[in-house]
Amino acid sequence: MDDYKTEGLSRRSKYRRPRRELSWIGLLIGVALGIGAGLFYAWVLDTRVEYDTEPWQLQPSDRAQYIVGVALGFAYDSNLDRAIQRLVELRPQADPIQEVADVACDLATTGYASTSSGLRAIRSLMQFYRLQGRSGCADSLIPFEDQATPQVVIDLPTPTPLPPASKTPTPETTLRPSPTPPRVIAPTAQPQSDYIVAAINTFCALDSSGLIEVFVQDSNGQGVPGQAARVRWDEGEDTFFTGLKPERGPGYADFQMEAGKGYTVEMPGRSDPTTQPLVAAPCVTEGGDQAISSYRVFFRPG
Amino acid sequence: MLRFLVSLILGLVVGLGIGLYLGWVRFPVEFVDSPASSLSQRYKDDFIVMVASGYVKDGDLGGAVERLRLLGVANIPAFVQEVTERYISNSQNADDISVLVALSESLGRLTPIMQPYRQISGTGG
Repeated sequence: MDDYKTEGLSRRSKYRRPRRELSWIGLLIGVALGIGAGLFYAWVLDTRVEYDTEPWQLQPSDRAQYIVGVALGFAYDSNLDRAIQRLVELRPQADPIQEVADVACDLATTGYASTSSGLRAIRSLMQFYRLQGRSGCADSLIPFEDQATPQVVIDLPTPTPLPPASKTPTPETTLRPSPTPPRVIAPTAQPQSDYIVAAINTFCALDSSGLIEVFVQDSNGQGVPGQAARVRWDEGEDTFFTGLKPERGPGYADFQMEAGKGYTVEMPGRSDPTTQPLVAAPCVTEGGDQAISSYRVFFRPG
Repeated sequence: MLRFLVSLILGLVVGLGIGLYLGWVRFPVEFVDSPASSLSQRYKDDFIVMVASGYVKDGDLGGAVERLRLLGVANIPAFVQEVTERYISNSQNADDISVLVALSESLGRLTPIMQPYRQISGTGG
């Protein structure tokens, strides 16, 4: 009887349980130390080789030169979409066009402006930001020749009339039809967009998190269906049309953003793009929920 | 004790693997203040197109070369030629190709493949 009791107790004893192959405590300590050592090695001792740098990672001086490049490109092709897209790739903290003005200001106050190449570059920057209604200290430092308004020379075929015949014969007059007709220089207007971005409102809502809501309206504020809206970001673009969600009104269209990315919105061929990127930044709703900021963009006839 | 040591070493090996994955792949060091010479090829190409556009606009070859020095390439004419030929081979934007051809030609690197684009290129003022 005693033997049975003794045997029963000892069977329950921890000293009689089969030992595991591994010590969990040892394993956990090892994993923790290993992760720490691995991160230290990967982040400090042997960091990943830098081979895929994007413009936003550039050091300030090279960033400024990249912006100069953007302005030079714009001076050549006048493609505002492309210029804005290139600036968005720099992930500006604030207004990207104002950053162009700031760069022009910085360069104008250094020796960069002492060379003709540098001066031309600064003028390209000035032309770019002035066309977008910005200003900077370069305006007062560098004389700017406004090349924004192209001019067309029209040669008018208006020959000088011969004097009326008189009864008295006169020696052959030296007055001849002018070989060079007068030239009239007529400034041409900038290409006009028929729509403008009338307003951009930001809001934060859980049910429309990270949404760009586009409203195309006529001059009376009525929604206009069937209008194309284009959204661009650093890796692509998307075009969508108003009126496909009639429950939100005929002039309504929307686009879902990805968190952390910046977007410009425009009506292709009918408006300029938004000058500031619409950034899908985290926000907190009135109810305290985490969401992504959303935007309402209103296009109206300009 | 032996059991503990074996477990510790096994854990270290596993943890090291996880740590290297996290540090190199999942959450790698993000560099800032980088020089333009380390720009990815895509952005280097785009920068060359911008500079070439500026050159076609103002005809300032010295200024264009000076700007391209930013990319830290040893032989700028050869580099512009390589990018131009790649743009042509990949059927990139014709306007971009034309400005690249204009710059390449001014750097003495006009090759037969560029000839068809030369007619629509030219420096302006």
